[in-house]
This record gives sequence, structure tokens and C-alpha cells, in this order.
Amino acid sequence: MQTRSMQTREARKWVDRAIIAVLLLMGIAMLMPFFWLFSMSFRPAAEAYKMPPSFFPPSFDLTNYQTVLDSSVPFLRIYWNSLYVAVLVTIGQLVTCTLAAFAYARLRFPGRDSLFFVMLIGLMFPAQVTILPIYLGYAKLGLLNNPLGLVLMGLTSSFGVFMLRQFLRSQPKELEEAALMDGAGYFKIFWRISLPQLSPALGALAIITFTGAWNSYFQPRALIESQASMTLPIAMDLLRGYMSQGNLSVVMAAMSMAILPVVLLFLVAQRMVIEGVTFSGIRA
Amino acid sequence: MRAGYVFVLPSIVLYAAFVLAPVAITIILSFTYYDISFGADWVGFENYVRFLTEPRSLEIFWNTLRFAFLAVTFNVAVGLILALALNRAMPKFLLYFFRLAFFLPVIISAAFVAVVWSYFYSFDFGVLNYYLQQIGIPAVPWLSSSRFAMTSIVIMDVWKNTGFFMIILIAALQGVPKPIMDAASMDGASPWRRFSRITLPFISPVLFFCIVFASIGALQVFESIMILTGGGPGDSTRSLSIYLVDEAFGSFELGYAAAVSVIMMILVLIITIIQIVGSRRWVRE
Repeated sequence: MQTRSMQTREARKWVDRAIIAVLLLMGIAMLMPFFWLFSMSFRPAAEAYKMPPSFFPPSFDLTNYQTVLDSSVPFLRIYWNSLYVAVLVTIGQLVTCTLAAFAYARLRFPGRDSLFFVMLIGLMFPAQVTILPIYLGYAKLGLLNNPLGLVLMGLTSSFGVFMLRQFLRSQPKELEEAALMDGAGYFKIFWRISLPQLSPALGALAIITFTGAWNSYFQPRALIESQASMTLPIAMDLLRGYMSQGNLSVVMAAMSMAILPVVLLFLVAQRMVIEGVTFSGIRA
Repeated sequence: MRAGYVFVLPSIVLYAAFVLAPVAITIILSFTYYDISFGADWVGFENYVRFLTEPRSLEIFWNTLRFAFLAVTFNVAVGLILALALNRAMPKFLLYFFRLAFFLPVIISAAFVAVVWSYFYSFDFGVLNYYLQQIGIPAVPWLSSSRFAMTSIVIMDVWKNTGFFMIILIAALQGVPKPIMDAASMDGASPWRRFSRITLPFISPVLFFCIVFASIGALQVFESIMILTGGGPGDSTRSLSIYLVDEAFGSFELGYAAAVSVIMMILVLIITIIQIVGSRRWVRE
């Protein structure tokens, strides 16, 4: 009896090892496109289509990066637009969603729950249903081909309100009640007590919002045509023009720079990114 | 009492301007023939009739459902297999590596990675075809043949999104009570029996959520198709989202495009209702 259980334990260990080995191979395969992208971005143009492709670049040559910056596509401007939109959208959502979440979780006022319900319905509408009127409205207001238009439409989100409200409700509210008894105003309670309580959730929301805005493709594509106003995901089509000229490495250099902020964010704050994204369920 | 309104005001105003009003206008627009310079003419259900009678739009509708079916099945199935494989004791650095490898594609926009994939898939210069030919298999027209294009897009979609479902399912698997599992293996239950009789019933609500969630995402698929094939060859990979953008911003058929987007919204609504009804049933068990 003793030996049998030892045998099965030994067998199970080997099964575990085999599974981990297979997973390792799969993990490496999953990372291949990224590895490829970085590796290719350093390869001289002459080697871009070499077969079989060399695994590591022959040298860490930054020429391709320079070519992107010197090209007719205003890459730095586009990069700046992406940063501008993603940062302002993130700040905007943190502000509007925190304020609303505080009211829905902590204050009492007539119509509170129905307002919250109306806000929740917003989770159901795909971006495709709102884009046409926004396009028409922006055309009238001169906000087409303007990164500011992308900022405005992203300043709040049903999801952000929902997430922060749920989080705040899970926190003890005795402090707020005590402060209210002492005659503190609502803004003071919000600023001094609720906001600090919310901070872990705010970090997660900031990460999700930033990545979401950075990756956004559908709306910018519908609302922006001029190169100077583009964000990175839609500029990829422009840069791909280089591929037809035979220089894939340049496109890969641009791509490496484009994904860098999100990759870094993930390497540094892996847990937080995963928790945030799985909670919100954004699909980039 | 009134302070509450001040706090919710910014979000409500923005939400009304960028979500509620646009949805309402889209619905109205879908019953009109809309011309940017001449305004709207009421045409009743004409746009919907057109969508439901044109062979082209029906093919696109069918493409979207086909893509959704394939993408959902494989994303969730592969995610589940990975979750089962990863749900065991292992050193911390391995766990970090696996999370990195399987989750990184989830958070990088398809707009970026699809370009790399279009290079992998390229017929003449593609890496995939190069290695296939090395082992004696003829080159596959991954993206340029209507027979393979949809499959190629689904493969990339699974690569990109399956890690999301993997993470959610790992969390669900960790909720399966260990004493029950141990008792079952003591009694000599085979791994398959333990999986089908204990694990599966336990994680089924989460699995159900994954399927619903994957469906909603897949029905809206846009950028991966846009960059890999642009909807072609012919219409063989065109999805509703791409069709909508073509009609709205290519042909300026805004009324018709609005009808297409309302149809998409109805599809998503149906799935959401299934989710609500279904989750009630699951939770009761």
C-alpha cells in the first residue's frame, strides 16, 4: 500500500514536469511574434526578407528607428497624439467616475438607483451603435480629424463608474458616517476619506483605461483621416505602405515603439494589469 | 441631499451626450435615407428589408456568425485546457513567465500584432510557408484564398484572446474545493471522471460567462480582419463591423449603416439576455 502511493506520487511528479515542459514550449511560441517584431526591427533592410530568417539580429542597428522618425509619416506627432488622448482620457475617467461612484455608493438622493441603472445599461451598447451620430455631430462641430474629439468621447465610462462603486461599497463606511456626524461637508468626506479608500481600484482603472485608449482602433478609424491627427493603431496602415517598398524592418521598428508603453506597463505591474483587465474584460 | 446630483453630473452629461443620445439617433437614422447635405427622408423599414434580402449582406451576416462560433469555441476551449494545465504547484518565476507569455497578446492591440501576423501569413515571403515548404508541404495561401482566410484570422484571434479566458478559468478552478477532489481520487475516480463530475459542474457558471463574453466580443470583430484581409478576398471574411464602416464612410449610406449597427446591437442584446436568464438558472443549482 505504502509503495503504491509512493509510486503514484512519483508518477504524478513526472506528469507535472511533462505538462510544464509542454507549457514552456507553448509559452515561447506565444511570445514569438513579439520576439520577432523586436528582433526584426534591428535587422538591416537587406535582410528583411532573408530566408530562413535569422533568429537574432546580426547587430543592434538603430537605423530603422531613425528611418521611421525621418519618414514622411509624422511619427512623433502621431505618437504624441496617442499619448495625449490616452493620458487625458485616463485622467478624465478617474475624475468623473470617482465622483459618480462616490455618490452612488455613499450618498442618498431621489432617483439615485434609477440613474445608476441607466448608467449600467451603457455596458451593453457596442461602439458601432454610437459611432454614426458622433461622426455627424463632430462633423458639425469641427471635431473630426481632431484628437480632442477622441478625448471628449472617452471622458467617462459606465464601466468605470460601476467598478469604482462596487469597490467603494465593499469598504467600511463607518468613517464617512462619523465624519458626517461631525458636520464635515460632502466634498471634504469625498476628498479625505473615500478617495484614499478607493486608491487600489483607481490604479487598476487607470491601467485599464490607458491601455484601452492606447489600443483603440474602431473609433479613431471612423473619426480621423488626416495623418497629423492620427493615433498609433490607425497609423499602422500608413506605415505598412513601407512593406510594399520592401522594408519590413522599418515597420517593425515603428511597431516596437508603439507597443513599448503597454509592454513596460505589463512587465512592471503584471498582477495589477491582469486583475484589472480580467475584471473589466476589455479586449484590446 | 442635493449634493449627490453635483457628483454624478459630469458623468451623466457625458454619458447622455456620447452614449444615450447617439444610440437613440442611430435607431431613428436606421429608418431614414440620410444624405449629409440634404438631410433625412423617412423610409420606414426599407433599410432593414434591404439588409435581409441582399445576398451580399446575408453572406456578411453569416461570416460574422461563423467567425463568432469558431472564435468562441476555440478561445474558450484552449483557454480551459491551458487553465487546467497551469493549475498546479510551480515555482514563482515560471508562473510569472506563463502569465507574461499567455497574457501579453491580450493587452496589445490587434492593430499592432496583426501586421506581424500578416507577415507570417504572407504567401511569397511568409515565414509559415517557408517552413512548410522545408518539410515538403506546398505553400498555403493563408490570406489570399477564400478557403483559408477565415481560418487564418481565427488562429490569430485565438492566439490573441485565449489568455484572457485562461486567467478567468484559473481563478474558477482555484475555487473547486480540494477536499472533494482528494476524496474522489482516494475512491479511485479517474482524472476524466473527476473533471467531468466535480470540476466541470463547479466551474460551469464561469465557463458560461466566458462563452457569453467571448461571443459579444467576437460579434464586433474589426481590427484583426481589417488589417489581415480588409474583408477579402471578395467578401469571404467581411464582418458586420467592417461592412458598417464601408457603408457609412465609404459609400456614405448612413441610414443603411445605422440599420446594420442596430442589427448588431440586437444580436448583442439577445446574447446579454441569454446571459441573464442563463446565469439565474446556473446560480440556482
